[in-house]
Amino acid sequence: MRGSVLVVTAATLAAFPALSQTPLAAAKVQAANKAWTVPRTPDGRPDLQGVWTNTTITPLERPPELAGKAYFTPQEAAEYEKKTVATQTGDRRDGGPEADVARSYNEFWRDRGTKVVPDLRTSLIVDPPDGRVPALTPEAQKRVAETAAMMRAHATDGPEYRNLWERCLTRGLPMLPGPYNNDFQIVQAPGYVVILHEMIHDARIIPLDGRPHVPQSVRQWMGDGRGHWEGDTLVVETTNFSEKTNFRGANAGMHLVERFTRVGPEEIRYEFAVDDPTTFTKPWKAEIPMTKAEGQIFEYACHEGNYALADILRGARAAEANQGSK
Amino acid sequence: MRRKWMVAAAAAAFVAMGLPVWAHHAFAAEFDASKPLKLQGKVTKWELVNPHSWIHLDVKDADGKVTEWMVEGGSPNSLFRLGFTKESLPPGTEIVVEGYAAKDGSPRAVGASLTFTDGKKLFLSSSAANGSAPGGEEK
Repeated sequence: MRGSVLVVTAATLAAFPALSQTPLAAAKVQAANKAWTVPRTPDGRPDLQGVWTNTTITPLERPPELAGKAYFTPQEAAEYEKKTVATQTGDRRDGGPEADVARSYNEFWRDRGTKVVPDLRTSLIVDPPDGRVPALTPEAQKRVAETAAMMRAHATDGPEYRNLWERCLTRGLPMLPGPYNNDFQIVQAPGYVVILHEMIHDARIIPLDGRPHVPQSVRQWMGDGRGHWEGDTLVVETTNFSEKTNFRGANAGMHLVERFTRVGPEEIRYEFAVDDPTTFTKPWKAEIPMTKAEGQIFEYACHEGNYALADILRGARAAEANQGSK
Repeated sequence: MRRKWMVAAAAAAFVAMGLPVWAHHAFAAEFDASKPLKLQGKVTKWELVNPHSWIHLDVKDADGKVTEWMVEGGSPNSLFRLGFTKESLPPGTEIVVEGYAAKDGSPRAVGASLTFTDGKKLFLSSSAANGSAPGGEEK
């Protein structure tokens, strides 16, 4: 068995010169997946169905200390994994009480992962080549700075000044891993693909029949998605984002194109491209593997269990009252 | 009205900017770093809700007076996927909580460390869980 994988790897490298420029790890992943055929739904399309997770410790942006280094060596990846897991863990108790409170609870609650992406890239962003989000336009810089200042000034005035996770509204798009609940379920039906985001019980129902987007005046938390197949890749184009959303500075102007390709029995390659000339000086792209998840999606009923939001506001009122009485 | 939406958007940006979740200050707004505590008590209830799980425990003080504390944890969904169930922390279990008290003076805390009375950590994290049974007992 091992011999045939090596033969396939060598043959693959020989047949595709470009692959010999990618690190051996990437080539190995591709070779392992080569021997498998994608299962298909009754309408002949690739079967993307199941529960998937995109947990990874690879950061979205290449860290400054890794500038110019697009891939880890296996040794470097192992060191990075060890260092990151030790640094990020909520089980650390150093740094004093403020750091302790900020880390909140034990790491067992979280799903940050312990591994970088299998091809050992040092960032999820693949374009621009420096692995960083492009600069914001001057207009966007101003917008972001103004709203950040306003948020600082009003941070605990009321629920609308808290972030969308704390308010149990949405985790939005694109599908990026966070510290927990990085699970998604894909269901395919004739003419539609449904993507259920565990957090926060968002189900995107994406028509594949080529109908136009909703009118420009209609704005939605998860935008308005339209899907089509390009060969064996599902392409989802989403527009009409509400200005109440925010992705790295982009809101209503964001044009998001996601691509889903089943590349192995346990893996979907998920790519997204962000295009928003009102926010970013150039479009940018990222790639995150989605792997088969253990277990099921659980309902993320959120609002009714949300003691924390009230506690945050009550805590602020108590702190103000204490200051007043000094 | 428009400004309020801009604010909501900025708040969303704070999370979406890729900052670790603990940097969004919610816990600093909710809990008081100057009020560290250590509680020991019997679990009475475990609210397996999102966005945060809450462990209720009865804590007896030196005078024998019992106070019901609520300790904030994370989403239960990840724990379920690791194989833990509601039976993993049955009512009556004695646990020790090290953490910080709520700013508003109510008997609520965030549990920076949750252990059994013998010091074994509850629900070992997934990276440490290889070979260990749920509940923190070693096999």
